[in-house]
This record gives sequence, structure tokens and C-alpha cells, in this order.
Amino acid sequence: MSRYLFRRSLEAIPTLLGTSVLIFALIHMIPGDATNAILGERATEEAAARIRAIYGLDKPLTEQYFIWMGNLARGDFGETIRGGIPISLELSRRFPATAELALIALFLATIIGVPIGIISSINRNTLLDAVSMFGALLGVSIPIFVLGLLLIFIFGVGLEWLDFVGRIDNDISIPTITGFYLVDSLLQGNLRAFGNAAGHLILPALTLMTVPLATTARITRSTMLEVLGQDYIRTAHAKGLARRAVIVSHGLRSAMLPIITIVGLQMGGLLSGAVLTETIFAWPGVGKWLFDSIVARDYPIVQSVTLLVAGIYIVVNYLVDILYAFADPRVRVAN
Amino acid sequence: MKRVISGVLFAVMLLAIAPAYAQDGTTFTWGTFGNPVSLDSMNTTDGISFRVITQGCEGLLRFDKGTTNTLPNLATSWETSEDGLTWVFQIREGVSFHDGTPLNAEAVAWNFNRWGNTDHPEHFEEFIFTYYEYFYGGFDDESVIASVEATGEYEVTFTLSEANGVFLTNMSPTMTSIHSPTAVKEHGTAYGDPEVGYVCTGPYQFVEWLPDQRVVLESNPNYWRETEGNVDRVVFQVIPDNAARFAALRAGQIDGTEQINVEDLDAIEMDDSLAIQMRPPLNILYVAFNFRVVELQDARVRRAISMAFDREAIVEAFYPPGAVVAKTQVPPSLWGFNDDIPFEAYDPDGARALLAEAGYPDGFSTMTIVGVDEDGNVTEEVIEQRPFTIWYQPVVRPYNPDGQAIGEAMASYLADIGIEATLETRDWGEFLQLGRQGELFGIYQLGWSADTPDPDNFTGTFFINTDNPLPRSGWYQNPELDALLKTARATSSQEAREPMYQQADQILYDDVARLWIAHTGVPLGFRSCIEGYYANPMAEYYSTVVNNCG
Repeated sequence: MSRYLFRRSLEAIPTLLGTSVLIFALIHMIPGDATNAILGERATEEAAARIRAIYGLDKPLTEQYFIWMGNLARGDFGETIRGGIPISLELSRRFPATAELALIALFLATIIGVPIGIISSINRNTLLDAVSMFGALLGVSIPIFVLGLLLIFIFGVGLEWLDFVGRIDNDISIPTITGFYLVDSLLQGNLRAFGNAAGHLILPALTLMTVPLATTARITRSTMLEVLGQDYIRTAHAKGLARRAVIVSHGLRSAMLPIITIVGLQMGGLLSGAVLTETIFAWPGVGKWLFDSIVARDYPIVQSVTLLVAGIYIVVNYLVDILYAFADPRVRVAN
Repeated sequence: MKRVISGVLFAVMLLAIAPAYAQDGTTFTWGTFGNPVSLDSMNTTDGISFRVITQGCEGLLRFDKGTTNTLPNLATSWETSEDGLTWVFQIREGVSFHDGTPLNAEAVAWNFNRWGNTDHPEHFEEFIFTYYEYFYGGFDDESVIASVEATGEYEVTFTLSEANGVFLTNMSPTMTSIHSPTAVKEHGTAYGDPEVGYVCTGPYQFVEWLPDQRVVLESNPNYWRETEGNVDRVVFQVIPDNAARFAALRAGQIDGTEQINVEDLDAIEMDDSLAIQMRPPLNILYVAFNFRVVELQDARVRRAISMAFDREAIVEAFYPPGAVVAKTQVPPSLWGFNDDIPFEAYDPDGARALLAEAGYPDGFSTMTIVGVDEDGNVTEEVIEQRPFTIWYQPVVRPYNPDGQAIGEAMASYLADIGIEATLETRDWGEFLQLGRQGELFGIYQLGWSADTPDPDNFTGTFFINTDNPLPRSGWYQNPELDALLKTARATSSQEAREPMYQQADQILYDDVARLWIAHTGVPLGFRSCIEGYYANPMAEYYSTVVNNCG
């Protein structure tokens, strides 16, 4: 297993290098540069030239690329052009926010989506199946900002049940340990902070989970339908196993691979930030930051965060592969 | 096990839906659509940063509540020499910075020297100091400020290289706020960052700034002046989405906000718990001509285009309440406004006749672009022919709520008089760059919001050409206007300057140098229990706010 992981780690290097070249080229291909975001609308051409020189934006692109890679190799993500704030510091603040929301949303999507898929598949072509799949279709189709605002106006403004601004109320502070507010508040035994942070998470997590939930439910259903038609399932029924045991131990176990794959892919996507959800709920995560940085041409942020996202995808793929081995003995044997 | 899980889930739900903390009566929470960039007032150019800085940092002068009139602030009095080259300010005694260090003449001079001298140890290379360059004409020898010295413990003397009528007014905007030299030296390039914030003399001092979350300020217990308000804690809550921010206002999670969607303004008016205040218009949306386009060099064509636009219809269709049709570069709320200039009447028949007189009886659909020589003067050398273009702004600005829609309306008005125009835009950064380089060929939308309440900020900025036409003013050149505006800038007395700016706008109108579309007020939304907020286009001070929300 460790040799396998080592081999996969080596494979990650060319992927990351390729990503770095691609993102560097893409962001620099967009017309304009960071000078306008820094200097504002009053800038003179002379001031813009001065700023380009200070940040090395007047150097040849290849030189800029190698300077960036050199800094990265030393573990230096650099500073934001606009504001001059260390990117590693900002990432340490923002990534936990994105990750906490993403993990909760994905957890909810999975624990709700998989059972819906299973129930749908074993009640194929019934009203229950139709309602579940219509719900799934709705979940994929409804625009995030519509759903987010609806939830805000119903549960935040109308019923006044739930908070919808940021991660926690302004009068509650949680000293940072992990950056995950739920975890940090529990570690410090601060139940009020835990409840408050959980309250702030509910609406954005519900909004963010809709698409993964719907996708997971549909994939689970179709995979389960395929598996439940297999001979060994009939055999299991024939030898008198309880229906539940057949579905869970024989059916679901075999259907796990595609489900793990889709959940893993979704996790990669969610961890790279959810721009709309973060914008609507004023969630101080990575997605909105990356989006704003592209608009402002804040190259160091765009480059570093994109590379980080690529790294996350690679790690998630690792985890998915490892989970495969647990879910499917054939993968273990092959490795 | 099931019971345990159910119990835990129930407990979490109970904790989660427990009521949000009740805001105490002395917190004022402002919902802002973005994050500040820096809290060092000379290292930023954005309004969000300035709003935060305004609450804690002060200049030598300040604005009087809802007006652009200035009052003594950190300076108690001042006098100028007859030639306008020497200004002596008396600095208020007994004032200290938030770090306890005293405000004195040395501190004031240190700030100006830091901003203006590029070899000053705290004139950090990566800081921009844009507004110093812009207010005073450049750094070092280029600056109109030749020297700033502490000539007494509480006396600062400025020596100017030439008289400058805007010099005093420029002591009031947030950009020229005085910061603690000790704090800037201590924190170096981190000064103004989220970890440090600012250290000034104002009524609120910095507590924390969590990027994309909030900035928190608390009242300065040693503030030198009695304040009218009851707010002892100010929170700037970042909520980027307009609709979500409005929802937060309705839910009482914020006390006031701006950038409200037009459709939500009606909801505020119908809701007794909410109120609207209008920030007076001190901005302009204009349409500029590029004088490297041969067709536009003919004043009759420019006038025809001006007459083709129904400005009243444009303002009614696309602008929020509070916007007014513009007829001059200087807004009506500012001194120097020339009310004798007539509104351009919507007259498509007259426009067609003028076009015919200029040799375009059937209008035109292409434009001829000519070159510029080494000195930047427009030549007669034809470079190329292109489709005639209307450039629309790609971003929403207070003075331009929907550049594309307004651009489409303009194209249809031009089609009505036979001019077929193509609509174009670029990414905002590139758009601004093309504008600065004079390469928005055709006619283009741009706008301006006041940095300082002086007509020079609207007119001098664009039309003092020095020796060559400015590319960023569409290559328009008028030596008479240039000389007039230079004289106005170098004159100290407002009474003497006012007619000069009125005359300048008359020249611009007669020349059809530019078209003016609208001045826009900015609607602000509040909870009705908030009083004492004075909407002001230059600076809004929260120290006058009374929070009665309980």
C-alpha cells in the first residue's frame, strides 16, 4: 500500500506542474492587469507602469512564471497584489470556512441522497420513485441563488429561525485551533458558539447540498437498479436472506464504487469553493475570494488557490482510490 | 443508540435556532457589499476602505454633516500668504492618537512628507499613495507642495511651488487623514492590514478586521470632541449580495446599507420599520467624443448626436429615484455650477438637419480614425476605417446603473437620425486603460464621482491639457479652456474661481466637447430606529448616529 501511495504521489507532480503552466497562461491571457484594481480609476499610465515594475508584471511571462515557481518551492505563496496580505495567512482563514461548509453539505447530501436512491430503486416505477426522482431533478435544476434567497427570506427574515450572515454572530469569538468553528467550539467546550455556528451553517449547507444530493440519489438509483438485476442477488433471495440484508450487504456493497466516485468528485468541486453560496450567505471562503481575484487580476491569489484546488482534487482522488480498495476486494488484490 | 443520536440532533437544533444575539442599543452595523483593501488612507482608492477609515481617522478639516462645507478639525485655524504660496495651520492641542502618542505639528508634517517624498523611509515602495499624486500633481519635485515643516509645536507651514485653489479643500477628504507616525513606523508595510488596522485620532478606534466578514471599531474613550450620537461600537458587516444584504436589513441584522436593488426600494417605502435616505448626487455620467475620429471633429455632428438623445427618458427608464438629467460637467449641488446653460432638447429632426448640413444627409455607419504625432497632437493621417462604435461601461457605478441598457438606448436614438452604431465594451480594467490611452474610438460612456468638493475635481481633472491634448479626454484640446482652468486652479478665492468654472462649462457646452447624461443620488436603506445619519457624498460620520433600536 505504501509503495502504491508513493507511486501515486510521484504521479501528482507532473499534474500539478501542468496545472501551474495552464493557469498561469490562462490568467495572463485575459486582457488587463492588476494595476487598475490597485490604483483605481484615477490611475495615470505612469503610475500603472510603476506598479507593474514593483510587482514584476513588466518582466517576460516565462521569467514571472519561474519566479512564482521558485517562491512556491520555498513554500512562499506570496502576497496579494491588492492589499499586500500574505496569501498563506488568508488561505488559513478561508479554506477552513469553505471546507467546513463543503463537508457538512456533502455529508448531508450523501446520508440523504444514498437512501433516496436505494428507496427509489427498490420501489422502481412507483409513485415514491417518481416523487424522489422529480425532487432530484428539481435539486439539479433550481438555480443556487434562487434557492439561497428563498431560504433566507423564509427561514431568516420571515420565520426568524436561522441566521444567514457569515459563519457566526459578531459577539461570539472562537479562538482558532482548526479553523472549523464546529470543531473549535466543541474543543473549547463553548456550546453557545457551537449552536450559533451550527445555526449559521444550516441554510448555506442546505443550499449547497442540493446539487450533490440530487446527483448522488440519481447515481445510486441507477447503479442499484443494475446491481439488483444480477444473478447473485436472485441467489441471495433464493437462499432465504432477509430483503434488507440482500439490499444492503449484497446490493449496496456492489453499487458503492460509482457512488464513491461521484461523491469524491463532488467533494473536490465543493472544496474548491462555492462562489454563489458563499456570496449569498456572506461566507468568507475560498470561492468568492478566487472569483474576486480573477476580476481584479490578482495573479498570486488566482495562481496559488487554483494550484491548491488541483492538489485537493489529487488528494481526494487518492482517498477515493483507497476507499475503492475497502469497498471492492478485487481492487485490493490488483494492488 | 438511536435515542442518543436523536437527542444530540435535537440539542443541536435547539442551539441552532436559539435567537440571534440581540444587538445592544449602542452598536451600529453597516452592511457593506465588499471588503476594504487597506486601512491606510493613502494606500487605497476604494470607497469601502474610505468609509471605515472615515470613522476613526481625521484630517485637518472635515465636512459639516450632510453638506460639502468644511469645518476646522485637527487644524483650529489657518492663514495663507497673499501670493497663496504659504499656508500656516494651527494644530489642535490636547489631541492624542489611539496609541496615546500626541498629535502635534511634527506628526502632521511627517504624514505629508511620508506621502510626498519617495525617499522617506515609510514611503513604502509597494504602497500606492495615488491620491497624493493626484491631489498635488506628483511626488518629490513634481508635487505642488514644495515643503511641509513643523514651525512650532502646534504650527505647520506648507510652502507651495505654485498657488493652488484646491489646496485647502483637499485637507478635508478621508485620503489626507493624519495617522500616528509611531504606529506606521512600528508596523511598517503591515500598517493598514487586517492585523493592524489604523491608529489615528478619530472617534472610533480599530478593534478587528476579518477579511470578507467584518470590521469592528469601538469608541475612542479619549476623543477630543463631544459627539452627538450614542453609538459606541461600529460593525461593518460584509454581505456581497444585494438581495441578501437587503434581507439582513429587514431581519434587523444590519442597521443600514447601500447598493439596494431598485425593486427593493419600493419594499422599503412600504415597510414602516425601514427608511430611505438619499445621498446627494455629486457625480456625472458623461458621453465623450474621441477627436481622432474625423466625423466627430465636426461640431455639427457632435451637436446632432447630443440632440438625438432623450436624456429625460434615459434617466426615467434606467435610474433610481434621486437621479437628475445633467447639462454640465459640474453637478448642480456643487458651487461653480452654471445654471444658465440650457438643457439639450431632444430634437431628432433638428439633429438630422444638422447632420445633413455637415455633409451626412443619410447619416453614417463607419468612422475614419486618424493618427497622432510624437507630441500627442492629432494629425490628418488616416489610420483606418471602422464601424462607428458606442462604448458602454461594463460595470455598475452609482452614476451608471446599467451601461449596456443605456448604450442600447443610445444606439437606437442614433439609428433614428441615421447613424448606425455598433455597441462594444471590454473588461473594466481594459476599458479604463483604453480610455487613458485615448483608444476608445467612437463615443464612450464614462463617469466621475467627486474626490473633493471642488469644481476643479470635475473640470480641471479632464481639461487642463498642459501642452498637448490628453488622450484620456478623447484628445479634445482647447487652449482657451486650458488657460482658464489653470488660472482657476491657481486662484485662492472661491468667489473669484466660481465664474471661471461656470465659464468653463459654457465653453464645453458651446464646443460640444462632451455630452452629459445624469447626476445620480445614491439611496441608502436604514432601520427606522436609526437617527442622526447624515448622507453625504464626501464622507459620512457615524459619530452622529443615534441608535434607538433597543
